[in-house]
Amino acid sequence: MIKIQNAFEHGKAFIAFVTGGDPTLEVTEQLIPAMAEAGADLIEIGVPFSDPIAEGVVIQDANGRALSAGCTTDKLFDLVARVAPKVNVPLVFLTYLNPIFTYGKEKFMRRCAESGISGLIIPDMPFEEKDELKSVCAGYGVDIISMIAPTSHERISMIAREASGFVYCVSSLGVTGVRGKITTDVAGMVQLVKAASGVPAAVGFGIAEPEQAKAMASLSDGAIVGSAIVKLVARYGKDCAGPVCDYIRSMKQAVLEA
Amino acid sequence: MVKIKICGLTRPEDVEAVNRYKPDYVGFVFAEGSPRRVTPEQAAAMKAALDPDIAAVGVFVNAPMETIVSLCRSGVIDMVQLHGDEGEDYLNALKQSVANPVIRAVRVQSAEQIAAADRLPCDALLLDACSGEAYGGTGKTFDRSVIPALRHPFFLAGGLDAGNILQAIRDCRPACVDVSSGVETDGVKDPRKILAVVELVRNSEINFDTKKGRFGTFGGQYIPETLMPAVQELEQAYRHYRNDPAFQKELNDLLANYAGRPSLLYYAEKMTRDLGGAKIYLKREDLNHTGSHKINNVLGQVLLAKKMGKKRVIAETGAGQHGVATATAAALMGLECEIFMGKEDTDRQALNVFRMELLGAKVHPVTSGTMTLKDAVNETMREWTRRVDDTLYVLGSVMGPHPFPTIVRDFQKIIGTEIRQQILKAEGRLPDALIACVGGGSNAMGTFYEFIGDKEVRLIGCEAAGHGIDTPKNAATIATGSVGVFHGMKSLFCQDHYGQIAPVYSISAGLDYPGIGPEHALLYATGRARYVPVTDNEAVDAFEYLSRTEGIIPAVESAHAVAYARKLAPTMGKNQIIVITVSGRGDKDVAAIARYRGVNIHD
Repeated sequence: MIKIQNAFEHGKAFIAFVTGGDPTLEVTEQLIPAMAEAGADLIEIGVPFSDPIAEGVVIQDANGRALSAGCTTDKLFDLVARVAPKVNVPLVFLTYLNPIFTYGKEKFMRRCAESGISGLIIPDMPFEEKDELKSVCAGYGVDIISMIAPTSHERISMIAREASGFVYCVSSLGVTGVRGKITTDVAGMVQLVKAASGVPAAVGFGIAEPEQAKAMASLSDGAIVGSAIVKLVARYGKDCAGPVCDYIRSMKQAVLEA
Repeated sequence: MVKIKICGLTRPEDVEAVNRYKPDYVGFVFAEGSPRRVTPEQAAAMKAALDPDIAAVGVFVNAPMETIVSLCRSGVIDMVQLHGDEGEDYLNALKQSVANPVIRAVRVQSAEQIAAADRLPCDALLLDACSGEAYGGTGKTFDRSVIPALRHPFFLAGGLDAGNILQAIRDCRPACVDVSSGVETDGVKDPRKILAVVELVRNSEINFDTKKGRFGTFGGQYIPETLMPAVQELEQAYRHYRNDPAFQKELNDLLANYAGRPSLLYYAEKMTRDLGGAKIYLKREDLNHTGSHKINNVLGQVLLAKKMGKKRVIAETGAGQHGVATATAAALMGLECEIFMGKEDTDRQALNVFRMELLGAKVHPVTSGTMTLKDAVNETMREWTRRVDDTLYVLGSVMGPHPFPTIVRDFQKIIGTEIRQQILKAEGRLPDALIACVGGGSNAMGTFYEFIGDKEVRLIGCEAAGHGIDTPKNAATIATGSVGVFHGMKSLFCQDHYGQIAPVYSISAGLDYPGIGPEHALLYATGRARYVPVTDNEAVDAFEYLSRTEGIIPAVESAHAVAYARKLAPTMGKNQIIVITVSGRGDKDVAAIARYRGVNIHD
């Protein structure tokens, strides 16, 4: 598997999210190499979950579509094993804890390592519960990507000190989804991360327009976009690769200008 | 990680239990004379139903090699465990025939004997107690200090159970623990004991003593980072106010003069006579202001919110009882209130929606997921992340992330405290059984908590079995769920093989929840409380029964507890006592029960 660090070695990073198996596994399988080709420096693949409590409506619906179409953790691992050799950027999973826990922590991490998943973003596993996976992730070389939020304040240093891969800075209160403007002091959050840790910091939640991506990337090491891409997948279905890649190209261009 | 083997499966139910709680290995005993002996046909049927992630070990004593080879080749067993006098030649020959790993069992007598077995051409050892002529499976422990340093990984067997297994692991660090009689009750495998052993061992490497908000291994704080500061702020505030006499005085005053506490403990004489067994008392939480036990917790939490300087409270609701209580307390204390309720429940409980609006609350019908209580909790959590600074999430049950299960239990334990005083006054002794319905489990936890130390008092929770626990249409978490992490807590949940939360069902919107509070999971795992499934049909019968017999219309949730009491009371003596918590009144359910009986009511 490719080190997460690689994503931050070509200027500011553009990190793209897509829900695995939405609308079908076949579409995801085409989409991932195409997204990498179009300039995504790191791809987050969402493991669909019945009850994604940190997601807004767009990604909730994507989870629903993927599950209805028959996506399972096993099928997603198989898919990753097939696409990982075709992409030269790191792949990570965004997953809630329960699918890992039920699958078996050990087996989940083994399959991550075997198939080419470099890291995990787990929205419902805060710093205080990291012990749940810390040792097993370390054993398989899978990074746990820590999140910090606008409410984190004095927690930021504590979280950043133990961070691996990159630090995911949540730009706004609330759940994932496109926002008109971001009012949080993102620069202040990133500074606290940098003071405590050497790992890169990327900003996500609410980013949809190139201007927003540029602004966020200028304050950090990269921008993360999910809902805006998932909206395109929802709109274009099996023909989404073209529009998604056009979008990624424009966003990558924007972060490079930051 | 220490692995777990559950040995001696004999029934399809045993396979069902291990599929739910997922040990690493199971054992099928083929040895003649063993009480747990199974035929190759029985083993094949069990293996076919076994979760493919669990390896099946065949246990043999001096068996003909062709038997073992055939079971390996047909895939009935994945590994071989030899308990007889099989020596080096036998092992070599077996290894020539099949590639399956072989475990050599040693009935421990001395360090030398273990060291000799360690030199055999096997893949692992199994160390068991020695008892005369019997070939293993004695259920006794042995002196673990004799175990020398070994080349092979070893399984530790012999008298292990939930009470001694962690000490055994600390004593000798086995690769795997092997449990058989320690997870049985009356000679058959007990799912609860399997859960207890699996959970203890799985989490033995994490020291939960230093972790806050854990009930055994259950509980925790599995929530987005955005909410962590909020739950920590709540915890701090709660720790302060729980010991603040002024706060307690204000709360007690509200409970007495606003909610109408203490609630009655009523001797149900007609019901007692009719059932012809134990004496039945009803704890009348239905008589509280707003019509259920929910007000106890809500007055506490909304008062806490006010003291914390919050302007707004939000809450989920299933049947609407918690929503109505929250809207009531918010109106009283002058806080804004927004309630999230599954769209399906707003239809089932339309009257409660109007009631909440009447009290000044804004009700949001939730259209995501299954549009019931679980989705209402999801949406309330999402709303809390949107606006966290001036808002407190008033959680309605003993669930969610720490500190909610503790806070809600503390505010509800007044139910049990009063029962104790009232029954001592009425009968001069404690009851023999307490019965309460369980969804998330707040009225049951409130009922049980003060009695946990009184071992002679049976604690019984009644889960919603909907159309039955053998159908997918139920919400019986203990009967059909497995360990997971959801809604901020590690506990038991109704879920599929991949951890997708199941769309549960019950006639009762208040019990229609796919999880159970973490403290209940612990009470179940330790065997201190029992949980029984009650179907829609039984609950509706009990709803009508209590209405006709005592003139008390219970909430359909509470009717689940009444239904089980109807089964239990006749089996008990006339000198024994049951207390049923009637958690709420049934006015809200009348229309739904009429529909269930095919009667069309026009409001």
